[in-house]
This record gives sequence, C-alpha cells and structure tokens, in this order.
Amino acid sequence: MSPERRTAWAFLAPSLVLIAIFRIAPLIWGAQLSLTDARGITPGAFIGLENYRELAFDPAFRDSISNTILLIATLPVWVCFPLLLAILIHQGVPGGRFYRATYFFPAILSSVIVGSIFNTLLRRDGAVNAALKLVGIAPTDWLGSSHTALLSLIAVQLWATFGMSLLIFLAGLSTVPQDMIEAARLDGARLRHLVWFIIIPALRPIIEFVAVVTTIGILTSMFGLIYVLTAGGPGTSTTLPEFLIWLELGKLNRPGYAAAISMVLFALMAGLAWAQIRIMQRNADV
Amino acid sequence: MKYLFAATLALMGSTAMAEELTVWDWKSGDPAAASYIAAAKTAFEAAHPGVTVNFVMQPNDQYYTLLGTALSSGSGPDVFLMNGGAQAKARFGALTDLTAEAKGLAGLPEFSDGAVVHALPITIQGFVVYYNKKLYADAGLDPAKPPTTWDELKKVCEAIKAKGAAPCFAMGNKEGFGAEFFVSSLAASMLTADEQAAFAKGELKWSSPKMKAILQAFVDTKDWGWYEDGANSTAKFMDEYEMFMRGEGANTIGLLSDVAHWKQFGDMMGAENIGAFRHPAPDAVTLAADGGPMMPLAGGIGYGVNKAGKNVALATDLVKTLADAGPIAAFAKDAGILPANPAVDTSSMSSPTLTTILPWTTSAAAPMAHANASAAELEALHQQSQLLLNGETTVDKAAAALDEVQAKAHAG
Repeated sequence: MSPERRTAWAFLAPSLVLIAIFRIAPLIWGAQLSLTDARGITPGAFIGLENYRELAFDPAFRDSISNTILLIATLPVWVCFPLLLAILIHQGVPGGRFYRATYFFPAILSSVIVGSIFNTLLRRDGAVNAALKLVGIAPTDWLGSSHTALLSLIAVQLWATFGMSLLIFLAGLSTVPQDMIEAARLDGARLRHLVWFIIIPALRPIIEFVAVVTTIGILTSMFGLIYVLTAGGPGTSTTLPEFLIWLELGKLNRPGYAAAISMVLFALMAGLAWAQIRIMQRNADV
Repeated sequence: MKYLFAATLALMGSTAMAEELTVWDWKSGDPAAASYIAAAKTAFEAAHPGVTVNFVMQPNDQYYTLLGTALSSGSGPDVFLMNGGAQAKARFGALTDLTAEAKGLAGLPEFSDGAVVHALPITIQGFVVYYNKKLYADAGLDPAKPPTTWDELKKVCEAIKAKGAAPCFAMGNKEGFGAEFFVSSLAASMLTADEQAAFAKGELKWSSPKMKAILQAFVDTKDWGWYEDGANSTAKFMDEYEMFMRGEGANTIGLLSDVAHWKQFGDMMGAENIGAFRHPAPDAVTLAADGGPMMPLAGGIGYGVNKAGKNVALATDLVKTLADAGPIAAFAKDAGILPANPAVDTSSMSSPTLTTILPWTTSAAAPMAHANASAAELEALHQQSQLLLNGETTVDKAAAALDEVQAKAHAG
C-alpha cells in the first residue's frame, strides 16, 4: 500500500469506525432481531419471516400504513404553504422580517411543548372550541374523534415545522436572478406570472428538496406530538408506524415484532432517500 | 514501591469486599417515596456492613423496555420493581422463588403463578368510586348514602344530570384507562370467581354474554349521558382527576394507593367533602359480605430478585427489607399507600374515607380483571373503548376484535 493510500485510510478510519459501530451494526442487529420472537427477557428464537407475515395481517399496522398514506397525501400543502409565504415575504410585503421570524419561531420548540400548547387549545373544553362557540359553531372534539384527530395532528405539525421550509425557500429565492424578474416586470408581467414562469421553475430543485425532506420529517418525527396529543387514538386513527414501534416495544414487550416494523419503515425511508438522490442527480445534470 | 504495591493490594482488597446491589424502579425519585427508600437503604446497609444499595430510577413510560433490554443482555439490576399482574407475569422467567419470604403478605396472586411467588408485593391497589358530597347534596341526594346497586347508581346519575352542574362521572379515556377501570369495576361483581379465573386464562371470551354485558354497560352509560363530552381527549391521569377535584364531575373511579386516591382527593377537597363506594354493576352475581358490590383489589407494586444477579442471597435479603413493615410504614404515611404487609402500622393514616374503604379490602375483595388480561388485550381494549365512546363501532364488533387479540395473546 502506498504511503498516500495509508494516509488516506488513516483519515478515513475514524469516520468509518463510527459509521460501522453506530449505524451499520445497529441496523444489522435490528434486522436480525426482526427475525426472532424476542420478548424482552430472552434473546428470542429465530422464526424467519414470521413477524413480517404477521405484519401483513395486523390491523393496527394496516391502519398505521393507511394513516401514513393520508399523511403523505397532504404533502402538497406542506410544500405550497411555506412556498407561497416565502414568495410573499421575498416580494417585500410590509413587515416581512417580522413574519419570517414569527413563522420560524415554532421550529425551535420541542414537539412536547407544541403538543402541550395544542392540547390546551384543541381539547373539548379548550380555547378553539370556545372561540367557535362565540360564532355559533358547535364544538368538536378535535383530538378525540377519529374524523378529526389525524387532521388536527397534521395541522399542528405543519404549524410547528413549516418555518424551516419557509427559510429554505427564502434562501432559494435569493438565488433567483433579479434581472430576469425585473425584465419580466418591464414586460408587464404580474405577480402570478412571475411566480409561475420564473420563480417556480428556478426553484424546482429547492421544491423537490423540501418535498423529500418534509416527507421524511413527517414520517419520522411525529412521535412526540402523537404521544402528547392523542396517544395514537382514538382507536388507531393517529397511530403511525413509529408510534406502533414504540407501542410494540415498550408496552407490548415485543422487541422482535417492533424491529420488523422498524425494518419496514426503514425500507420506506430508504426508498425515499433513493428518490431524493435520483432527483438531486437529475437536477445536477440540468 | 513496596508501599505502593501494598496500598494497591489493600485497595483491591477493599473493593473486593465492598458489594453493591442495584435496584431499578420508577419510584425512588418521587418525594413521597423518599423516606421509604431512605429507611430501607439505611436498615439494609446497617445490617450488611460493606454493602451499598443503589436505587436507579428509570423513566416510567420506558421502564419495561429498558428492563427487558437489560435482562435479555444479562446486565439487569439485582432487584427490580414491577406492577402486579400482566407486567409481573411477563417477567416470572427472570425472577427467583420468593415463596418462603412472602408469608402473610396480601396481594400475592398478582406476583405468583399459583405455586411460586416471584416478587414481594409492597402495596395493594384497587378501584373504588370517589364522590363529591357537595354535588350530591346540591342534586338533592343524601351524601351519607352512596349508591349500592346499579339501579341506585342510575338514579344518582339521573339526579346529577337533572341538576346539570357537572357530569355524573369525570371520565378520561385518552389512553383507554377509563375503560380499563370501568371493566374491572363491573367485572368484580358481574363475574364469578371461576369466570375471573377463566378470563385470566383467556378462556372467557370478550364475546361471551358476561363480557359483552360489561362493554354494553360502558356504551349505555355513555348514552345515558354519565360522562362529559370529549372523554377520548381527556387523560385519566391526571386530567380526569383534576376535573373531579375541581368539582367538574360528581364521581370518579379512583385508586386505593399512590395517587388519585382518598389521600390526594382528601388533601385537595377536604377529607369531609369526599366519600367512597364500591362500583355497582348490572346483574351482579358476586356480592360482598354486606350484600353490596365487590371491589377489584390486587397486589399493586412489588420487588423481585433477578435470577441472573451476582448475589441472589443478598438481593433476597434486600427485598425482604423493602417489604418489611418498618420502611413501608413511612411509605404509607407519606404517599398514602395501602401496604401489602398487614404488620404495617397504619394508625397514622387517618381519613374518614380510608376508614370506610379499609374493611372492604377483606370483606369485598375481587380480582382486578384487567390486570389479569394480556398487555395486547389491554391495548386493544383501549382502542375499542375509544371507538365505542365515539359510537364508531358496535359492542359486537369491538368484542370480536378483542376476541381475536385475546386468542392470539393466549396462544403464543
């Protein structure tokens, strides 16, 4: 081995070791655990793909996947809402800096704090229902009814996290060539023309990036909110795979089965990450 | 150099002599348990010079996950605390036989497989209905005469509903605990001893007439307007109990030990303003000595010895100390627990409500049905009960879903 290669390996070694110990090894361990019937006290016997077979028939898992699909279906809102606000702020609406700071503010709150705030607001006798009552609308049990619980969770998570997407869009907007916008304005383009024909095409890579990052975010970081706001209920209406993993592991004492759900979630995430890399490569080629 | 060598040897010697025992729990950081833990530690360390006991408090909601991981990797604590019933039973395989040490303690069935006792109970736990005497009086009811039959309870709730000041029962079912408490409270009087045993084994199905009648009663009481709207978004611990203490519920199904019990309600609302009764049930078949309803009662929490621990004999001694009347007397006084050890002096615990309840622990004790169900069944009950309260499922469908989980849990 040449001295250069040795030096290169020496520099690479620390991160390779860390990745192997903290990323690869747990993954392999988890995959191996998912093939056992581990029950907490004993390491568990090898049962092949039995856990995965059981997953296919588990109504709770099925519900968690259909909830996930519903969640992903709301993705356009998660992207368009901050995009629209970012464009308005970038166009220089009065008080833009104030809005930027205010929108970003919830992003620095932990999900438990956000959950506690909205628990108070959304409960049956909470402030939201009190306000609705003032205008003559009958109160709704936002978190206790299967029809509204997941949508309430989505709304709260959107409120808590769209500030980050907004900042990314603002950063992206600053790269949109100003001369093009000015030229279009001189040609008589209106705001909607600017948005549709210049800003959105220029922002395409950013929009795709936000879409992928948001998808991963909503699939893996809703736990805190679910835990505080609904505990997965009513029924299984707000149970997402990550909450189910916790339930099977902690409450039902089935690490093997929980590991199988984790592997499915991991595969889902890996698919999305793959899509993300593809999208970014495609844009790099443009 | 010679001195250094000698000093090192001496140091090694002393470390070899010093022994450490580790205890896991979710209680030792609780101020109400501090004096109990301190008393047990002092007593044990005084009796065993050179031995140090370390109490490690784990987060409550992660407790069994952490314990399971530690036990399966062989690095578990010497002694650990657990809840009686399903949680304890799931860990019998990791525990030593404490039958010889358990003589005279109450609440043993939740910590034993019938032949061998695997952990020593510290507290006993149970459910009674606590009621707000003022709300009873306001509704024209006699606060000195709480209901003893289902029909009387229905009348009480009708009167309270007619008054309109508060719902008849404060109800929190966000985590499904409201339903859990309701099921056990009714099962205490609606099931025979044999049926309770069959239910624990998974042989009495949720779709059996008895269990369906309990689920139906849950739906009926909802339909009769016994609970406030929004029970599914109200946490039992502690939103429901705070509602009760604020006077926003005339009754609540509460506990006998630890929290949400006679001491907490008495401290907050005034001991003279609350009372307790055993939850009546429709079609009761098992009745107490006084002809009234039964009260679900079970071993609350208990300590067991890890079979794989380094010094099982020493750990067994420690568990004996933890279950001893001396330290537990402090726990009873500070936290208002009902001790599983009958030798504990409870004369310092004076409360008119406790005076009412204490005799029932012997004259009206029934198994706590839900504590004998599997963890998976309870989770399914939580989910189905929320759908039942929302009117999103029927009793038949809920029972069928529970049957499926019950069959699976008891098959494997």
